[in-house]
Amino acid sequence: MFDLPDEFTPQFLARLEELRVRTHRQYAGLGKGSHLSPRRGSSLEFNDYRHYSSGDDFRYIDWGLYGRSDKLYIKLFKEEEDLLTYVFLDASASMAYPAGDRKFDRAVATALALAYVALASGDRVMVRVLAGAGAKIEPVFLYGRHRIMELARKLRAIKPGGEFDLAPALAREMHSIRRAGKVFIVSDLLMLLNSVTRGLGLFTAATMDVTAVQILGGREIRGQGLDGDVEVVDSETGEHLRIAIGAREREQYKQTMERLTREIKQFCLKRGMHYALHTTEQSFQDFFLRAVADLGLAH
Amino acid sequence: MGLLDPGALIFFAIVPALVLAYLARERPARVVVSSILAFRALRGLRNERYGGKPRFDWMFFVELALLCLAVLAMAGPFVIRRSNPIAVVIDNSAAMQAKLASGGTRFDDAIKKTAAMLSNEDSGGKVSVFVTTPAPYRIAPPFDSAVEARGALAGLRPTDAPDDSSAVTASLTDMASGGRFKKVIFASYRAIAAPAPATIHAIVTGDPAPNLALSAFTLRREVFGANTLHARINASNFSPGAAELTVTLTGDGRQLAIAHETLDAGETGTLEFPSLPPAQVYRAELAPADVFALDNVAYATSGAVRTVSILFITPSPADAAGLGAIPGAEVKVVAPDKFTPADLAKADVAIFEYSAPKEMPAVNTLMVMPPPDPVFRFAVAPATNIQIARWHNTDRLTDSVNFRMLNLRNGEFFGQHPWMSAVVSGQSGGLILRGERQGHRYVATGFNPFPYLGRKNLPMSVLTLNLLSYLAGLGADAGSYRTGKPWLVPAGVTMVSLPSGRKIKATPGTLFTEVAEQGIYELSGKGLAPIPRAVNLDDLSVSDLENAPPFRLEVATAPPASASFLEKASLSPWLLIAIIALGSIEAFIVYRRRRGAMAGA
Repeated sequence: MFDLPDEFTPQFLARLEELRVRTHRQYAGLGKGSHLSPRRGSSLEFNDYRHYSSGDDFRYIDWGLYGRSDKLYIKLFKEEEDLLTYVFLDASASMAYPAGDRKFDRAVATALALAYVALASGDRVMVRVLAGAGAKIEPVFLYGRHRIMELARKLRAIKPGGEFDLAPALAREMHSIRRAGKVFIVSDLLMLLNSVTRGLGLFTAATMDVTAVQILGGREIRGQGLDGDVEVVDSETGEHLRIAIGAREREQYKQTMERLTREIKQFCLKRGMHYALHTTEQSFQDFFLRAVADLGLAH
Repeated sequence: MGLLDPGALIFFAIVPALVLAYLARERPARVVVSSILAFRALRGLRNERYGGKPRFDWMFFVELALLCLAVLAMAGPFVIRRSNPIAVVIDNSAAMQAKLASGGTRFDDAIKKTAAMLSNEDSGGKVSVFVTTPAPYRIAPPFDSAVEARGALAGLRPTDAPDDSSAVTASLTDMASGGRFKKVIFASYRAIAAPAPATIHAIVTGDPAPNLALSAFTLRREVFGANTLHARINASNFSPGAAELTVTLTGDGRQLAIAHETLDAGETGTLEFPSLPPAQVYRAELAPADVFALDNVAYATSGAVRTVSILFITPSPADAAGLGAIPGAEVKVVAPDKFTPADLAKADVAIFEYSAPKEMPAVNTLMVMPPPDPVFRFAVAPATNIQIARWHNTDRLTDSVNFRMLNLRNGEFFGQHPWMSAVVSGQSGGLILRGERQGHRYVATGFNPFPYLGRKNLPMSVLTLNLLSYLAGLGADAGSYRTGKPWLVPAGVTMVSLPSGRKIKATPGTLFTEVAEQGIYELSGKGLAPIPRAVNLDDLSVSDLENAPPFRLEVATAPPASASFLEKASLSPWLLIAIIALGSIEAFIVYRRRRGAMAGA
């Protein structure tokens, strides 16, 4: 559909509209919305009492309490506001390899789907691209589902490239985030576990609700296409390593990849974060609609 | 089992080199990956190379096997097995074309009898089939069974060439005494003289038969430049009684002359055919027909009918005036400084007067008073009052020349020449030298004959015509080429068409050996008009069907007929097949790996 990826069929968009972003906490928004805010407001959900003072609306006086205590109390209600949603997209060089896996395309599709869910439910979305080359995306909140086309056009113009380390990159981004909210991080997370945990820990420390979406290639997980004496070159650092790969080594590689993803997942769950793993061999639509809970979404 | 060349096993010393090559293998496939994080846990090549445990994949063992097989093949492994090898020698010479009373030819009869003898052989040994003409050779690698050999015999045909009797005798002697064959079957019209070696089983076919034959068909021109030719044909009678024969001569298919002759038993007569009109190909046919048709026909060609093109390289062009007056001669005069070897391409004869070429001319050449030169290396000594002292009476150059009437004022004597011999000599050395090199004729004169041509000096004119006749090759086209005798391919000829119509590529200057057919061969080349060349049997020993002298073999120690033969069966072909198969597998695997690596990247 125009600038949207091929996976975004009308049926898939309809299913996305049924979803909404779920958070563990209540966050203040910038306008009216559907998420409970820590602010007091005019929703139906009771929050607290306070003494009546002149000028208060009579309609909120709790007359029952007045009868029992002979004092005037005003009922306070929670405010419902929109949710500030942040989507961080990893566009570093590693997202371009292995070329046949098209990891970056899937990462863009994931970011767009998450953004669409938020926009469709009336929330505000800010998309930040980490590394990469191409059109710059301003650090502003988007509002309204019609903005998804503009966002898709900008994201698809980006080419993956450059070096990227999660912890320092996210630390820099913290400066542009004025208010807490929901954070989605879409990346292959192929870096030292320490960098991943420090990066994600920055957001949890700032009372943000975090979902980590790890995108990996099918060949990348299996070590497919690597056989015999090979010099592997890191796409980001250029560091190279000479290895000899046979069936035993390939199995060892697979186990290492599984261990890395498992450790990231365990860290996320332990810190109350959501975690979802998408391998490019899977159908994107199936992944997104089945991993709703893992993605920190709800129907 | 053994090895023909055990010394080749020394190449097994290459094996450590292969191991080292694997250990030190550089430039592995370079693959860009998203992150090398997960690869760090794997063992690196560098660690393996320096002190680590060597790791060879199965490709190493394939290559090791390839190397070992190649070294083994070089060593020539063989196994020894019992065998009863048989040699079949078929006489395919021209005489085997003679017809039998039964209607077939001697050759057909020999093949039939040989096949019958082979069918009784159940030894299981290999059968080698040889033919005798033009020289004894094996027609194919040994056949595994008598059935295969019989099939090969059916495809043989007799040639028009005589056999080389001494070569056949030597081959048979070698086969009978070499211990290579348990049995030698020899089928021919000639028997083996007693005592024949026990290993040789001779099949003699054909009986003595009367025969008339043509031989020595020659054409010559009596006078240089005349259009008419003179043919001379020899005819022989190999019959017990006198025979009347008729020879019909045709030129280019048109009957030109008929001659009758009566020859006594064993007599050879000569028939003369004067004043024959010009034709490309002359054919003589003998009547009455007899059992051997091949020698009843003879061919001759005449290249003399056409105009002889003479390239005259001289600083004195006036000397060419006398040459140009000769009928049938076309003279082109070139100054020595303008001459290039390319000028020789269209010349039949080159004449260098007072000059010498810088390289050996590729045409028949006359050199008149040449200076000392680096090509022919003439040793010349200028002289005056030359007296001609000696000449060859029977030579074509001196034929009909009255040397006593020749008055040579001045000239030069030739010293000894490495490959030219003196035909005419004076008091201090040679005056006319003659020699042949690379199929071309070269003549050098120590005097200049050209200013004296004409009626004023008839001896000089006759000498000049003799020189030109010799150099133009006149009178030598017929009778010179015989079946079975190879000849040099002339310059410019790249293709030869055989009488059967088969075309064979030829290289100038090399021997042409496909000469087993009698008839007219056509020589052609780029920019060259086709040249017919007659090739005749011209061998009276073949035509004498009354007398077939037996082969006399002198075998020193013939093995007993019951001896058991051991044969070395080479294993190299099997090793070669294994090498090719392993090589193919390796190439396929390498291709798959590289393709997989590229797809993975």
